[in-house]
Amino acid sequence: MPAPHASPRGSFLLRPGEWALVAAILLAIALTTIVDANHSYWFRPLESLRDIARNTALLGIFALGATVVIIAGGIDLSAGSMIALSGTICATTMLALKPAEMIGFKPVGPAAVAAGCAASLLAGFLVGTLHTWLITAVRLPPFIATLATLVGLRSLARALCESTTAALTPTKNALVNVSDPFFKAVRDNVWIPVAVFAVLAVATWLVLTRTVLGRHLQALGGNEQAARLAGIRTDNVKWFAYCFGAMTASLAGLFYVANESVAQPALQGRGHELNAIAAAVVGGCSLAGGVGTVPGTVLGAIFLRVVIDAVSKIIKTGADVYEGLIVGVVVVIAVTFAQVGQIARGGRRLLPGALGLCAIPTLALLAGAIVAMTAGPRAGLAAGLAAVVLLGMLRLWESRTAA
Amino acid sequence: MRRDALIPQRTAAATRRAVLFGGIAAIAAATLLPGCSTQKPAAGPAAGGAATPATPAAKRFIFLTNGDDPFWDACNAGLVEGAKRFDTASRGIRVVMEKNNGTAQGQIEKLRQFGSQSDVAGVAISVIQAENAAIVEEMKNLAAKGVKVITVDGDVNRDKFRDARPFYIGTDNIVGGRLLGLAARRLLESRGKSSGGYVQFAGFTDNDNARARMNGFKEAVGDGFKEVDRMADEMDLSKARDNVRTALVNHPDLTALVGIWAYNAPAIAEVTQERGVRDRVTIVTFDAQASALNHMADGRIDAMVVQNPFEMGIQAVRLLQALHAGDAATVTEMFPNQGKADGDIFTTGLRLIHPDGKTPLGGPDARPLGIENVEVMPLPAFREWLTKYGLTSS
Amino acid sequence: MHRPEGSTTADAAAPAVSMRGITKRFPGVVALEDVTIEVRAGELHAICGENGAGKSTLMKILSGVYQPDDGELAIGGRPVRFAGTRDAERAGVAIIHQELALVEDLSVAANVFLGREKRGPLGLLDDRGMQVECGRLLESLECHVPPGTRTGSLRVGDQQLVEIAKALSLDASIVVMDEPTSALTEAESARLERTIHRLLARGTTILYISHKMDEVFRLADRITVLRDGRHVCTVDRAATSPRQVTGWMVGRDVADHDGGRGRTRGDRLLEVRDLTLPWPEHPRGYRLADVSLDLHAGEILGVAGLMGAGRTELLETIFGAAEPTWTGVIRLDGRPVRFHHPREACAARIAMVTEDRKRLGLFPDLDVAGNVSLCSLRDALEGGLLSRRREEELVAAPIRDTGVKTPGPHAAITGLSGGNQQKCIIGRWLLTRPRVLLLDDPTRGIDVGAKAELYALIDRLCRDGLGVILTSSELPELLALADRIVVLAEGRLTAEFARAEATEERIMQAATGG
Repeated sequence: MPAPHASPRGSFLLRPGEWALVAAILLAIALTTIVDANHSYWFRPLESLRDIARNTALLGIFALGATVVIIAGGIDLSAGSMIALSGTICATTMLALKPAEMIGFKPVGPAAVAAGCAASLLAGFLVGTLHTWLITAVRLPPFIATLATLVGLRSLARALCESTTAALTPTKNALVNVSDPFFKAVRDNVWIPVAVFAVLAVATWLVLTRTVLGRHLQALGGNEQAARLAGIRTDNVKWFAYCFGAMTASLAGLFYVANESVAQPALQGRGHELNAIAAAVVGGCSLAGGVGTVPGTVLGAIFLRVVIDAVSKIIKTGADVYEGLIVGVVVVIAVTFAQVGQIARGGRRLLPGALGLCAIPTLALLAGAIVAMTAGPRAGLAAGLAAVVLLGMLRLWESRTAA
Repeated sequence: MRRDALIPQRTAAATRRAVLFGGIAAIAAATLLPGCSTQKPAAGPAAGGAATPATPAAKRFIFLTNGDDPFWDACNAGLVEGAKRFDTASRGIRVVMEKNNGTAQGQIEKLRQFGSQSDVAGVAISVIQAENAAIVEEMKNLAAKGVKVITVDGDVNRDKFRDARPFYIGTDNIVGGRLLGLAARRLLESRGKSSGGYVQFAGFTDNDNARARMNGFKEAVGDGFKEVDRMADEMDLSKARDNVRTALVNHPDLTALVGIWAYNAPAIAEVTQERGVRDRVTIVTFDAQASALNHMADGRIDAMVVQNPFEMGIQAVRLLQALHAGDAATVTEMFPNQGKADGDIFTTGLRLIHPDGKTPLGGPDARPLGIENVEVMPLPAFREWLTKYGLTSS
Repeated sequence: MHRPEGSTTADAAAPAVSMRGITKRFPGVVALEDVTIEVRAGELHAICGENGAGKSTLMKILSGVYQPDDGELAIGGRPVRFAGTRDAERAGVAIIHQELALVEDLSVAANVFLGREKRGPLGLLDDRGMQVECGRLLESLECHVPPGTRTGSLRVGDQQLVEIAKALSLDASIVVMDEPTSALTEAESARLERTIHRLLARGTTILYISHKMDEVFRLADRITVLRDGRHVCTVDRAATSPRQVTGWMVGRDVADHDGGRGRTRGDRLLEVRDLTLPWPEHPRGYRLADVSLDLHAGEILGVAGLMGAGRTELLETIFGAAEPTWTGVIRLDGRPVRFHHPREACAARIAMVTEDRKRLGLFPDLDVAGNVSLCSLRDALEGGLLSRRREEELVAAPIRDTGVKTPGPHAAITGLSGGNQQKCIIGRWLLTRPRVLLLDDPTRGIDVGAKAELYALIDRLCRDGLGVILTSSELPELLALADRIVVLAEGRLTAEFARAEATEERIMQAATGG
């Protein structure tokens, strides 16, 4: 039986894991400033800050949705496809209302823009309802239900895009250009997505910590059966969670369209749902449900984007080749680090027995390979050996303390 | 129980935590630290950066492409050659190539990254979506910061966004399309066909160069032949093959298959072979991937219009260098008609490659195609040219 | 009585188990403080204490699940330190937990040999050999279950014997049993006792955790009492009495419960007629059939029955938590009701405290206040938002009234003992001011002192006008508390007794279908 853990609080103070994230963010920024040959953060901080802020806001908006769904004990794999669908619905609605203006790259007017945005958000609500229905009435596991929409929604978006453009424009098209000044303004002014994200974060935090619904969400995620037996209408709570998840993805989709000035259902937001889940988990959400905070997710999103930017700044050319690898490593380290307290207290060992022995060369090889690819074989060898030494020391330390 | 076991668990735990953190930080630092080293060996990072000798470089010219393709490898070779020829290293400039993941967002993000780093002197970009205003805006933002921005191979929509860049280097894709259309028409006529349907295959149908080629082809091949479909595969190679299969099934009596992007050629060749319909269709393609050349040698492709990405690379470096150094003379030399319509375009030549032996396209009795600046070559001669520059494809 | 002749004096020199100065701390709570206990070889040593006294923690340290923060452990005179359960097993210690640790989807034989599977000559699993051996072990325990049976389909009593078989296969010389009869029927308990005698005859040392005085005084040679993590005393069984032991456990003299004297019965609150709950997958076809009963204000109605008789299903149906396929009539205050969701029952002022609080009652990620306030959050709102202050005020009363011992309202609920957790849940429902309170085996796994407090609480509630339906597997408890007792057997109501005419035998007879 695991030792009892501290309970969550609704106050302003951050939990220890969240302070650790703040420290990690500052550490990453410091590391980048020093290691980057251009010292871009030092000499040109504003541009990087603007880009990181924009990307964090875009990620954060639907990471908040992912957080609520995860706290409620579910999971939503379809956020990326919802982004694509939402952008497509917005663009095709505007195209349907003002075809000449859209094709001619002219402003479509506030009414059409409002209609497009409203249609997107409505689509989010409908998709959330669909998810809830599949999960509660048809009794599909959330993983399966949202896996189905992961592939289904994107395909729907592409079909919608092609059929609408075939009907309203001279040629069938796989994307719709969006050039209305409203979207351009959103693209040009970073503070707009950041403000929307901030407001949404505060509102979500309020709901989660200070409303009955938020408490019910936590209860549902913590113990669904007990929640039902305590008189909570679990189906309705799930409905809220999945709709919130899908509608935040819709909102993010609108920002994606503004950012790229195009709605491209085939590729937009592909794979991004995993970034949102990673941000939530790094921020302290438990995939088992019942645990998670808004500050944690916000910090997690910031952390992820800072790390990705750090990779671009440090490995200047061809950074995206390594981006996935480094983000993966960092997420593992972050979640492990968050558990360090538990590990130390519970006498748990990170490198136990034969498994630990095999883990040492695996991790050392990984570190050595990454370094070798970026800085040459000799540096790689050095890094690998350093890793073996450090991990070996850790293992010896653990065996000594446990003996 | 030993005495040390009576030490309260807390200090033991705290020390363990410190070791853990220290270890992780050390590994993380070891991972990131080497990236700062500018002394990259000649083998270079896997992105295919065109590395110049080991003197630390202060600035970069970046060539931003769409994705992975042997076409870009040939271009990269051109970049290396250009860097050598115009001695960029002596001016403290490195020439590198950056690949994209095929999305507009990827190009937008990369352009923003270039903007926030201070060592970018020039950017040559093959734009993935000709009408994307966001990409254009980022190009302009870069230019406003003093970075020289030109388009190569994939241009923006010149009617709308002409002011996004001062110059474009590349193939005139309309001409290229027309060339291929003419070649196709001549081949079909020589086989006794004056009408029929054809399908065009590309990565994206709304990409500027793809569209231009397809329109040029349609124009040149004539109204006798009907364009049944344009199929996009989003740079997914297995999808490219599936598209060919789908086209063959849906339209059983096609007379011609047209490959617009480089990897469409081997896709078409292999699938027609697999389906056993090679004799029924005429296959004409763009660009010369190594595998496509082999297909042509084995008789599976009838004609190929080949761009010159190698030349594009060289000229891109030349132009960026000139712009960066304020060398107006070179710029005028490259673009004599500045200020006039089309004066901002530098066309790198086209070649029409045909298989060795008797063909209506080449040889001494062939009628001229009526298009300027085109070199018609039989396959072996082209292969010689490739070997001369150490290329396997173009 | 149990030991083989002549072994007493020889073993006195080296105790089978010696735990000296054991201290164990968890965040926020000290589970054990300087506990010293010695167990002689071949004896049955009972460990008694309230929940939260530290019995389970002490035994988990002995069996290697936990490591002590301080103190020494010795087996057979040799000092040992267990890094995990494997080490303990190798030293000859086997523990049978209160919550059985079996893999439901595996066969009985697989469970018995889990982690120590027999292999054949080629290195592949020797299923045949394991089944034969397992069969032998089970026979010696009077268990006639085929070794290939899927463990999840066994009754709890048989599952427990599988655990014992596992311990036997380990050739353990020290067996720890943690509240083994809490989920057993009378017949199974008797069978277990015979098994214990057999084990003792072989020279096995048994540590027996229980707070059932009748069992302890039947079986034990010596008794150790723990209270609040400290060792109180260790006595010979013959030298003490149940009341004295109970007194040590609680720290005060505990009088018997007075049995509801002076409670007046009020109006009829709840009426159930011909309640039938279908069960399509089962050959029997129903979980409940034609059950009828009445509940009046101010009375406690006890529901007795074996496991699987349908007690929980009865309560769930009344509460609206069962499948909506039931037929029959349920009337509340004379009006027919049909609840489709527990929420509706709540609104009608019916409350249910479920069995198995860990699975069905607790929210491990919420703190104590969160768990108690869950059904009454509207009363903690201030300006439309939840206020920490209001919540604390709200839960202060139920925490006090039910007697929950907790470091504070924001402590982790998982750090509380079972009894205190149960009190929190009861407190949660009391906040909804119910008129009908359904209690499903509420004192399961709760120590004597807490039980007494709960009995007093339930009595008080009844005097305030609540109607209580109480199920229990402990007949003495039902006899002491209930004004009337109905008996369920295999889904049917077979008998109804008033307090005066109810006896254990009669109830047992009705429960077994006689």
